[in-house]
Amino acid sequence: MMPGHIVRFAIAIVAFAVLARLPVGLDGAFQFDAALALVWAFGILSLVLLTGYAGQVSLCQATFAGVGAYGAGMTVAGLHGGYLLGIVVGVLFAMVLGVLVGLPALRLHGITLAIVTLGIALVFDKYVFQDHIFDWFTGGTGGWQVTGASILAISVDSSKHLLAAYDILLALFCITAVLMVNLHQSGAGRRFRAIRDSEVAASTMGVNLTRYKLLAFALSAGMAGLGGSFYPLIAGSVSPQPFWVFTSLQLAAIGVLMGVRYVPAAALGGLFMAVVPDVLTRYGHGVFMGRLYEISYDWFQLAVGVLLVLQLILLPDGVWGDIRGRAARIRDLVRGGANKQVRPA
Amino acid sequence: MSEFAAYTVIGLSLGAIFALAALGIVLIYRVTGVLNFAHGAMGMFSTFVAWQVFYGYPHPGMPSWAVTAEAILVGLGFAVVLGLVLELLVFRWVRSRPQVVKAVITIGVLLALQSAASLIWKNNQYHLPIYLAPQTATFRLADVPIGANSVVIVVVALGLAFGLAAFLRWTAFGRAMRAVSDNPTSAALWGVRVDAVGAVSWMLGSLVAAVAGILITPFINFDTTSLTLLIVDSLAAALIGGLVSLPLTVLGGFLLGLLETYPTIWIQSLGFPRLIALIVILAVLIIRSPKGLPGAAR
Repeated sequence: MMPGHIVRFAIAIVAFAVLARLPVGLDGAFQFDAALALVWAFGILSLVLLTGYAGQVSLCQATFAGVGAYGAGMTVAGLHGGYLLGIVVGVLFAMVLGVLVGLPALRLHGITLAIVTLGIALVFDKYVFQDHIFDWFTGGTGGWQVTGASILAISVDSSKHLLAAYDILLALFCITAVLMVNLHQSGAGRRFRAIRDSEVAASTMGVNLTRYKLLAFALSAGMAGLGGSFYPLIAGSVSPQPFWVFTSLQLAAIGVLMGVRYVPAAALGGLFMAVVPDVLTRYGHGVFMGRLYEISYDWFQLAVGVLLVLQLILLPDGVWGDIRGRAARIRDLVRGGANKQVRPA
Repeated sequence: MSEFAAYTVIGLSLGAIFALAALGIVLIYRVTGVLNFAHGAMGMFSTFVAWQVFYGYPHPGMPSWAVTAEAILVGLGFAVVLGLVLELLVFRWVRSRPQVVKAVITIGVLLALQSAASLIWKNNQYHLPIYLAPQTATFRLADVPIGANSVVIVVVALGLAFGLAAFLRWTAFGRAMRAVSDNPTSAALWGVRVDAVGAVSWMLGSLVAAVAGILITPFINFDTTSLTLLIVDSLAAALIGGLVSLPLTVLGGFLLGLLETYPTIWIQSLGFPRLIALIVILAVLIIRSPKGLPGAAR
């Protein structure tokens, strides 16, 4: 197994080196998009673990990200802690919520879990993130303002050093992505997949359902929270809008669309979710064939909805799964039909 | 005391809305096995169509009841077409897929419908409702004023619930729908036209959603998201009925309406009712048998 580890590690380093350079020459708005893409990529990666590996449905991943963002904002702007501490607090808060959501999930699965997680997303969107009882956590109507933050003496505030925050988050994402691929083959990963395929069979084989379901929820929520805890850094403030219930639904939709079983789909999905709407709204206006037109953000969500429906009918394994399948077939063709073998999924 | 009674009236009208919306969810789930997260969005879209007819252009020389009737008929007609189109284009092709996949497809439908409506009608809050009864008409029952629109809602909810139940129980087509709901394969072998049954369920479900949407407009400032997100409360009511029982679903709707309304006597918070809906969902799901819901294995 060693060569596989080395190859993955090398790919991650090359990906980091290339992606870290990519937004350097771009204007501020695109640098913001690049950083935001990573936040959502963490959100979808958390779904790869929870849904793709462990088979648990969740419609509240943006809520975990939001709790991470508010946890960090509260620590830095409210309690005047360092930003590193803010990230730790944000991730911890998200993990605690993840375990709390995981508790009912011990008895539920499939559509009932979808209903519960949708309810949680709505409660946090309309109540926790907006009600005055929770002002200590959300910073009141204006939210938390984060300026002049630094991580380990590196300036990372959004106004001047946005790319520093981007680089740190990118490094974290590359590390997490490699760990996620490794997890797939590890003992815990095999147990997650056993739970996905059949909870009864998994528990018969001695998988501790309670421990591994809660572990999946805690790790997944922590991952989404890690991405979210960088949001105040990138945007300069936190507000409920980015983490409302429709973001959760979009994360689920885009995760499934890109291929919820595959780690690279998370990067693809994050990029799609942050860059496409911005490009559409920024350049999608003008005159076409004598008619004035303007593409608003709603067109993006409309496209996501329609694409999701089409994908689930036509490409059940998602975009990345389809690419993988085609690549495998081409490899087989090149090698010749002589040594046909059944390929494990 | 009269304050308590007044809140009871509000809660019952709200509950009737939940009950109506939940009826459509239960109907579609029972017959086709699709848990429709887009139910609120479908009702929302049809409601906006009716609203557009009502307020969108002038109706010279028409009496107001005729305008109301026209708006409602167009809205309901649109709802039937919407249900049919969704069945023909989407859900007919995924009938044999796992239940979760079908539920995720409805999330795609939800996102598409909500953003399409938001493109057409923008993200404004609308507060010009479609009144079925004159806004000022009130009854007095033991000194408690009851708005005529509240009465209309409760009567329509109860009427539709019993109408649907009777339709399922005593008509030939209703029997066919129940047969498909029990076992689609054997129903098909007995000569039941499963495609037609699926199409009718979607049309009926969409129709009931539109009725709920149109009736709620006098009670809230509505926009494309708030009506779409009504799905959570409706699902809570549907879960009380175990996703199968129409009478229990209606009861669940009224119960949830009251549970969400009474705390507003003391707690002035827009988000708090959502917390109550979540608690009801969790309570129902945790008390029920761990085997889960009927038909959940399909």
